Amino acid sequence: MTTATRVLTVDDSPSMRALLNHALTTQGFDVSQAEDGMAALDWLALNEVDVVITDINMPRLDGFGLIERLREGSRHRDRPILVLTTESSEDKKARARAAGATGWIVKPFDPAKLVAAVRRVAH
Amino acid sequence: MNAEEIQAIFFAECEESLAAAEQGLAACMAGTQDDDTVNAVFRGVHSIKGGAGAFGYIALQGYTHTFETLLSDVRDGTVPITDALIELMLRALDTLSDHVGAARGLGETPDDAALQAELTAAMAANAGSAPAPAPAAEAQPASPPTVHAHDDDDEVTSDFDFAAMLDDITGSTSIAESSDAPDDDADTSWVVKVRPHAGAMRNGSEPLLMLRDVIDFGAMCIACDVSQVPPLDSLDPGTGYLGWTFAIPGEVDEAMVRDVFDFVGDECGLAIGDDAPMPPVRLPEPRALAPVAQAAPPIAAAPAPKAAATPMAKPAAQPPVAAAPPASAQTAPAPSAAPPPAPPAMGQSIRIELGKLDKLIDAVGELVIAQAMMAQRLAGDGLAATEELALLEGLTRDIQESAMAIRAQPIGSVFSRVPRILRELTASTGKHVRLDVSGESTELDKTVIERLGEPLTHLIRNAVDHGIEPAEERLAAGKSPEGTLTLSAEHKSGRILIRIADDGRGIDRERVLAKAIEKGLVVPDVIMSKEEIDLLIFAPGFSTAQSISNISGRGVGMDVVRQNVKELGGRITIESEPGSGTTFTMTLPLTLAISDGMVVNVGDQTLVVPLANVVESLRPEPKEVQGLGAHRAMINVRGRFIPVLPLYAAVGAAGAVERPEEGVLIVVETEGAGRAALLVDAICDQRQVVIKSLDTHYRSVEGVAGATILGDGRVALIVDVDGLVANSLSDAGQFAAGQFDTGFVEAA
Repeated sequence: MTTATRVLTVDDSPSMRALLNHALTTQGFDVSQAEDGMAALDWLALNEVDVVITDINMPRLDGFGLIERLREGSRHRDRPILVLTTESSEDKKARARAAGATGWIVKPFDPAKLVAAVRRVAH
Repeated sequence: MNAEEIQAIFFAECEESLAAAEQGLAACMAGTQDDDTVNAVFRGVHSIKGGAGAFGYIALQGYTHTFETLLSDVRDGTVPITDALIELMLRALDTLSDHVGAARGLGETPDDAALQAELTAAMAANAGSAPAPAPAAEAQPASPPTVHAHDDDDEVTSDFDFAAMLDDITGSTSIAESSDAPDDDADTSWVVKVRPHAGAMRNGSEPLLMLRDVIDFGAMCIACDVSQVPPLDSLDPGTGYLGWTFAIPGEVDEAMVRDVFDFVGDECGLAIGDDAPMPPVRLPEPRALAPVAQAAPPIAAAPAPKAAATPMAKPAAQPPVAAAPPASAQTAPAPSAAPPPAPPAMGQSIRIELGKLDKLIDAVGELVIAQAMMAQRLAGDGLAATEELALLEGLTRDIQESAMAIRAQPIGSVFSRVPRILRELTASTGKHVRLDVSGESTELDKTVIERLGEPLTHLIRNAVDHGIEPAEERLAAGKSPEGTLTLSAEHKSGRILIRIADDGRGIDRERVLAKAIEKGLVVPDVIMSKEEIDLLIFAPGFSTAQSISNISGRGVGMDVVRQNVKELGGRITIESEPGSGTTFTMTLPLTLAISDGMVVNVGDQTLVVPLANVVESLRPEPKEVQGLGAHRAMINVRGRFIPVLPLYAAVGAAGAVERPEEGVLIVVETEGAGRAALLVDAICDQRQVVIKSLDTHYRSVEGVAGATILGDGRVALIVDVDGLVANSLSDAGQFAAGQFDTGFVEAA
């Protein structure tokens, strides 16, 4: 028996969170939501997760900051973290990589590709 | 949650994003142009773009993309913030708002071609001086690496039996040393060589999963380079020593394969083509800090320049990281100068469907009534002093206040629309108006806020159109050419006061009166106070504009404003000073659901007087009340004469106390008619009442604000003090009968 893959989605846009939630829960993922990096850190302090999906531009603590904070500690050093981005420029990717992202999903995302990307990094 | 619901969330979010962007731009205009402010504007537009893409609003997405690109330049400092730019962005925001409206089906998709061109021009204007990041990006042509590396790279020289292990790892069954597999279908298949570096395991990546992806394409692992595996004692488990060679079927194109490894970037060496050498091993680098480890020679002593060995990425993958663009300045502080642990839950919020909230409010209302009924029942049994009863009462009140607070929103959401209205007015009238806003954070009920937009808009249009003079006229009057509109909100004794003040010419009372007489609203030789004349502008069908402009004279007059405010259970007053301006003051209840009231007996009736109006209550001595004609009386309250109004007469109650000295006088303050003393038989209680609209259950009744259910289950009418007092005092009124009453508030 395998349990559902747990995903934390971090996005300051409620509609984007709703979309992610919809796309993932319908595919059997166990989805939690946080509205920015700070909220995600708070949530992650108390909960376990398999994959984190985060937006980049958010108030309080942005996606890069969140990833850097998570990579600093040992608990989430190897956690797959996917970045949601509207651009797929090499520059953006390089920054995401440098921050410690595992991969990226280009918005607007195709639900099937999103699910594939999450499945692919979940281990 | 279905698509429509998510879409509804998106549109609600658009409104917030637009408001946030508007505020940000307003701050920019006021001189606050720091990163946070610009970023707030960017984020607003960015978030609309994200949703627009997701929901397939092509026009909206395209437009936001252009706008966002410019904002991105502004944020990065490549486009300087000038007044002209802010003005352009404000216009762009207005059009964005129209775009959102169109996406919602509330209007036509705006023609944004010219504006888009302007936005693009604003970026292009500076593109020359700024390093254009664009060309660096996107897919590199699939040129095989031109590096000349060791001949033995591909040779499997190991004496370990890695084949079996690899079999395990890759799931491939055809691992062969120096396989001839590629020859089988040499014409269609092609070769890719992969060597994941240490970094491919970092950041939560797993190279194995990528190799699996490649195999899923139908690729075959034809060789594994184990030549670089060091002796066990010097083996670093984090380093990628292995290199794989895959034969990829011809129908799989290179982009697909590159895509698999896209995630890890140059942390995985990739070489295309049978002749291409296997990318060399790279020693792990210390995390985050770039250049240090590059000094260490790779184990395989691959002399090839590093850049060439990583054909996958653009030449220098490291520099962009180190020489991080300015934007990352905000993100960078995180690691070391990490802010203290997040202030717990500050600013966190959840979104609730309004219907659920209304249900809660309704239930709380019923709870309040039930609690009151129980208290009454217990009091009847002599248990009024029960401790738990007091506790319950306190808790009920707490719950009620919390529930009301949930519905409360800052009025700023309405105020934030004003700048746009003013911009449009400036465009159509040529009058420049400065806006002063205060009290944006004042909170009031959501329903009140929502219904406030229309009267507020109308009042602002009126102020600019009729109040504020054209620049020449202002200069001639010794005023600044730019008009000032002051918008403020504040709490005052359980109600909210909203003022809209202009520094224009004031109300021309002579003309107003002349117009009212001409329209037959008042009789020709009426004698009216200044205030009464001012109020005439609220009369239905009244318009003083010499030519009806398309701004404030859209066929609806100020009477609509008055009607709107009345419907909200509020009232509106005017103060005007010729030559120096007019102030409209709207007084609105904080909530439409519950209020504090004084329960009084009048003959056979029980009535509720809103506590907000009550100043004091007293039992008069006979000599304090002085008759004034047959039906009127005044009382001297601490040196001030105020009229006595017998409530029984107003409501037609039978068997009531008719002599003031035998009953109780409740001194009330009204908005328009000053103080008055209401004569009642007795005060029986003072408590919260849940307001039930009389309109929905019966019909609107003058002098009655609503109804409530008392503790004993009976229905009591809530007195509309303002309306009642104003009506009673103007009974002898000078108005033409029934045409217009000065009581602005009849029923909620």
